[in-house]
Amino acid sequence: MNISKRTKSVLGSILLPVVLIILWQYIFSAGYIASAILPSPHQVIKTFIIHFTENEYSFHIISSLKRVLSGFFIGIVSGFLFGLFIGLSRTAEKIFSPSFNAVRQISIIGWIPLIVMWFGVNEFPRIIIIAAAAFYPIALNTFAGVRNVPREYVELASVYGYNRLKLITRIILPSALPSIATGITLALGMSWAMLMAAELFIPTNIGIGTRIQIGREKFNMALILVGIITVGSLGFAMTSIVEIIAHAADRGRILRKEI
Amino acid sequence: MDIIVAKDVRKKFKLKHGQQVKNNGIISNEIDALGGFDLNIKKGEFLVLVGPSGSGKSVFLDIVGGLSAPTSGVVYLDNKPVDAPSEKTGYVFQQYALFPWRTALSNIEFGLESRGVVKEERIKIARELLSLFGLSDFEDRYPYQLSGGMQQRVAIARALATKPEVLLMDEPFAALDAQTREILQNELIRIWEGTDTTVIFVTHSIDEAVFLADRVAVVTARPGKIKEIIEIDLPRPRNGDIRSSSEFAANRHKVWGALKAEVNKAQQEWKLAPGFTD
Ligand SMILES: Nc1ncnc2c1ncn2[C@@H]1O[C@H](COP(=O)(O)OP(=O)(O)OP(=O)(O)O)[C@@H](O)[C@H]1O
Ligand SMILES: [Mg+2]
Repeated sequence: MNISKRTKSVLGSILLPVVLIILWQYIFSAGYIASAILPSPHQVIKTFIIHFTENEYSFHIISSLKRVLSGFFIGIVSGFLFGLFIGLSRTAEKIFSPSFNAVRQISIIGWIPLIVMWFGVNEFPRIIIIAAAAFYPIALNTFAGVRNVPREYVELASVYGYNRLKLITRIILPSALPSIATGITLALGMSWAMLMAAELFIPTNIGIGTRIQIGREKFNMALILVGIITVGSLGFAMTSIVEIIAHAADRGRILRKEI
Repeated sequence: MDIIVAKDVRKKFKLKHGQQVKNNGIISNEIDALGGFDLNIKKGEFLVLVGPSGSGKSVFLDIVGGLSAPTSGVVYLDNKPVDAPSEKTGYVFQQYALFPWRTALSNIEFGLESRGVVKEERIKIARELLSLFGLSDFEDRYPYQLSGGMQQRVAIARALATKPEVLLMDEPFAALDAQTREILQNELIRIWEGTDTTVIFVTHSIDEAVFLADRVAVVTARPGKIKEIIEIDLPRPRNGDIRSSSEFAANRHKVWGALKAEVNKAQQEWKLAPGFTD
């Protein structure tokens, strides 16, 4: 029962991609589209295999993974602390929140020229913008989670003499956990999106984004698609992992779907 | 010996700008919730408060629990004025739900964690209480996996875990169906009869009041004060059978007699209120 349910959901999620690939192959075979505009699935798979076996593609993947994970971790740790801080202190909220919300309106990509002028063209600004992309959703969701702790929980804790530290660790954080988990999942998606910007706008020789760039320069459409599919699949896989971890950490308590 | 003494307790709430209320026909922007509440409660007594909705019962319980300060007057607990929540007090309020991220066992441990009770001891106390409520097999369940009645048992167990001298219960069974409610009343009375805890229990159910109480205190329509105190002369230990006895009916009758006029008065006040349609 359980297994068939899971199989069903896996089948469901790959249904659309499979249909699209079949459609794609069909359009190509029927001769509707020139291969310079859109290569065939067959070509893409061939390019994929060639690059993975011969052209150190995995090295680029690992470099991009390191880049995105570094930014992501810096972003979620600092974003969590910031969200917790302005969530716990009304004064801190008054001081930081308006500026934070104003700065948030500016696309991170808009900061890239400034950041590059400060730090130069190297790995540091790339990680910084990925971290910034992860920072916003986790900060906002942590803040919301902390602020939405039911008043009664806090009151009950104070009635039973909980001090501030225990109140935070035993009441506020557990209560805010589902919201924080949502923030982490969103932050991961933002980090992956920003990885492309980081690699395309702050030039480098290493990374999946640069492979896409090279594909463009060489008019190698298949190479571009390999890059896009790789990023998409990795992002999807990592988001799924994070969701599973978040669910497990919650021990099925609050993220539960039944309620 | 009186463990709780309330002396001329009054409570006014300032309303928000633009809101107003009639107190004895006079329009005001302050609402009189309690108007001179006097009540002495004996140690180990089970006292039930009944009264019309909005008569200040919950407000009184908040004051006894140190959650809110009276506008004037004073409540003594063990001869000391109450000005903050006390370790001697346990709380079973409707709004105090169980923590959804804690198991039944861990919810019961909650009140002990801030009092330096070590883990093994906490678990021992929590297990004893679970077994007292017949919930031993459910210690690892989260609240959403428990029925409403089970959740309420755990909430009572959580309050009892700290061995309070005074237990404040504000309509703890109001959300339960009639059958579960009777079962929980039976369990509560069985467990309470084995302790020397003083209980102040608020309910809208006269049957519940008569079944549980040593004394039923009837509260007047707002501003609330004690109208009458009725001794319930039913023998203890009590069990469910007593509900169908003629003594029970007689006590029930007495309580309703005292309460009826107040409920009507409160209803009359609503009918006079602008916007009320019957
Ligand atoms: N924080 C508050 N601000 C303003 N008015 C309040 C506040 N708390 C209670 N009141 C008012 O005080 C009166 C008494 O309220 P209380 O909740 O004690 O009634 P109650 O007897 O518990 O009613 P019920 O049986 O419906 O629970 C009500 O008229 C209520 O509107
Ligand atoms: Mg009430």
